[in-house]
Amino acid sequence: MVSNSPKFVVLSIDGVPYDLLSRLIEQGYMPNMATLVSQLGMRKMRSVQPTVSCVAWSTYMTGMNPGKHGIYGFIDRRPGTYEIIFPNSATRATEDIWQLLSKAEKRVFAMNVPTTYPPQPVNGIMIGGFLSTSLEKVAYPAGVGDYLRSIGYHIDSDAALGRSDKRAMIGDLHATLEARMKVMFHFLNEESWDFFHTHIMGTDRINHFLWGKMVQNDPEFAPAFFSYYHRIDEFLGRLLEALPENTPLMIFSDHGFCPIKYEVQLSRYLIELGWTYALGKPLHPLSIDPAKSRAYCLIPGRIFINLAGREPQGVVSIKQYQQIREQLAADLLKLQDPDTGDAVIRKVLMREEVYWPTGSHGTHALSPEQVAQADATFGKAADLIAIPYDGYDLKLGLSDSAVFKRTELEGMHTYDDAFMVARGINLSMDNLEIMMLARPILKELRVEPPQDMDGSEDAITPIF
Amino acid sequence: MDRLDELESQSIYIIREAYYHYKKLAVLWSIGKDSTTLVWLCRKAFFGKIPFHALHIDTSYKFPQMYRFRDEYSKKWDMQLVVARNEEAIAAGMGPEKKLECCTALKTQGLKLAIAKHGFEALLLGIRRDEHGIRAKERYFSPRDEQFKWNYQDQPPELWDQYKNQADEGTHIRVHPLLHWAEVDIWRYIKREQIPITELYFAKDGKRYRSIGCTTCCNPVESNAATVDDIIHELETTTTSERAGRAQDKEDTYTMQKLRALGYM
Repeated sequence: MVSNSPKFVVLSIDGVPYDLLSRLIEQGYMPNMATLVSQLGMRKMRSVQPTVSCVAWSTYMTGMNPGKHGIYGFIDRRPGTYEIIFPNSATRATEDIWQLLSKAEKRVFAMNVPTTYPPQPVNGIMIGGFLSTSLEKVAYPAGVGDYLRSIGYHIDSDAALGRSDKRAMIGDLHATLEARMKVMFHFLNEESWDFFHTHIMGTDRINHFLWGKMVQNDPEFAPAFFSYYHRIDEFLGRLLEALPENTPLMIFSDHGFCPIKYEVQLSRYLIELGWTYALGKPLHPLSIDPAKSRAYCLIPGRIFINLAGREPQGVVSIKQYQQIREQLAADLLKLQDPDTGDAVIRKVLMREEVYWPTGSHGTHALSPEQVAQADATFGKAADLIAIPYDGYDLKLGLSDSAVFKRTELEGMHTYDDAFMVARGINLSMDNLEIMMLARPILKELRVEPPQDMDGSEDAITPIF
Repeated sequence: MDRLDELESQSIYIIREAYYHYKKLAVLWSIGKDSTTLVWLCRKAFFGKIPFHALHIDTSYKFPQMYRFRDEYSKKWDMQLVVARNEEAIAAGMGPEKKLECCTALKTQGLKLAIAKHGFEALLLGIRRDEHGIRAKERYFSPRDEQFKWNYQDQPPELWDQYKNQADEGTHIRVHPLLHWAEVDIWRYIKREQIPITELYFAKDGKRYRSIGCTTCCNPVESNAATVDDIIHELETTTTSERAGRAQDKEDTYTMQKLRALGYM
């Protein structure tokens, strides 16, 4: 144990489902986790809609729903254009826990949490997440980058290997993990941090690219899958040893995973039904013909109405807005698995059903016209959010010829089975969701949450 | 006269000025879109047959498509082609593991050797002002010393088309007939004149090269632009990333590649 011990520790492990973790514990791959879970228990936790890491982590770190923080996906449309932008920490509308704690003069450390690039100034160290572009720019303060370079830090494993060379991908995932853990232990003992958060991303990658092989017990890749988790457990053991037994601790994931039946090219479906018209040669996800398209979509399942007065060449009038949304929802719900005839879309939510701009959910009765013309962060949301049944991964495919396809991706995200293992912190007993974590963290460190922070009893996401 | 006619006529004027002033003149041909356009303009300036050398600095790491293109069109256009290679450095194993040293040895040193060997007084180069911030300070006629140093704080004024074209002893003059062209002008002109161009610029499997050089140090960009028209459209519609500057372009490209690999694009 070390003389400098942090007051609150978070180890987040991206995309690890409750059920998988239970199985890994049961089968002996994660003995340290098993001990911890036997002492503290483990709970299921809900993620966000749409269920992607950048939205989930933005929701965690702000304690607010996307209608307030404004991060809805990895790609968004630049408001008032048909251009794409990549949302990041600089485009987020509200402060995160590291900024709030910094203002209260708490010492904070964060490493590799998605959507923390570019690193915002904090009272401590902020090392950006997997979309950080270089070691020069990955960290605040910048000098930390020199240390990272000196130990051979990897910002992220090479995702392209998942498609081209899975064996190389595993080596790369391990190298990335080893370097990350080295940095974690280096800084853990450096001073008495108030809040110390390290994020592991590789689990999401290995789940995306090897889930099917794990399930099928592939002779090479299933053992590789399990030994990656085992290695994480070894690091967890070292971390627990380095902390006093009562240090408040949260270990959790941001979403679950399940096998992919099909990647669903939703743009292609919208094209077939005459909602979207692609340009001759789509150059990017918004290469649509705005003069003809009544709607268009972004990954995953985010559908925008091409609304006159809001979009530069909108064709749907405000009067038709609600009717068009309902027609679209009905069309989406008709989509069927080509083999089994099973429905693909479980639910289509209107933006106001899942997000709220201020206060708590349901406190603002907005007319469809007000919803359509909302501004600020809430107004950036998709008009409709399609939620698939597990197994149908909603993609784009503006230039694809088929709606249903399979690629190297084997696993997809799920909403309601993230896991949470917590020690020394009081979490809500009901309907735990990732949006509910910022408040208890601040409370534990005696920092007053901002007034508009969600995650309290009346500001939670409804269950759909 | 439309914009392309103006650009063309200004460039041809400069090319003819250079030919008038320098006995030993060469056009530097990298096989890329800009220098191929420059070669095209040289042909036009002299009615099809270029009366001076074309110089290709061959690092030995160029794309095979570039070598094929060079050999085909140097023959077709009846060019006096000089291929210069720094054989000594190549034989000594110089390669892209050492990026800066490699460029210095194979490109800069290769060019120096060629200038010394052939005694060129002036070189025509296809650089453009919009390529890079520092090039905004370039002149149409730009003196270089023996060490190739370009003193950007001491550049002669070029007013009313009066160019400083007297080279001091031991120096050579670089002439930049395309300085006033923008990237999209080049493509519009390529389209109008139907200038042949290497296929590397056109998208294959969602990627194309926006500029080309050595295989080892060039990365394709994400693009579906498979024809000259597509490229013009792409350049016309991606003004934001152009304005955002090169580093930003690189960041966006990096982000896109990552998101594509993960299936988010």
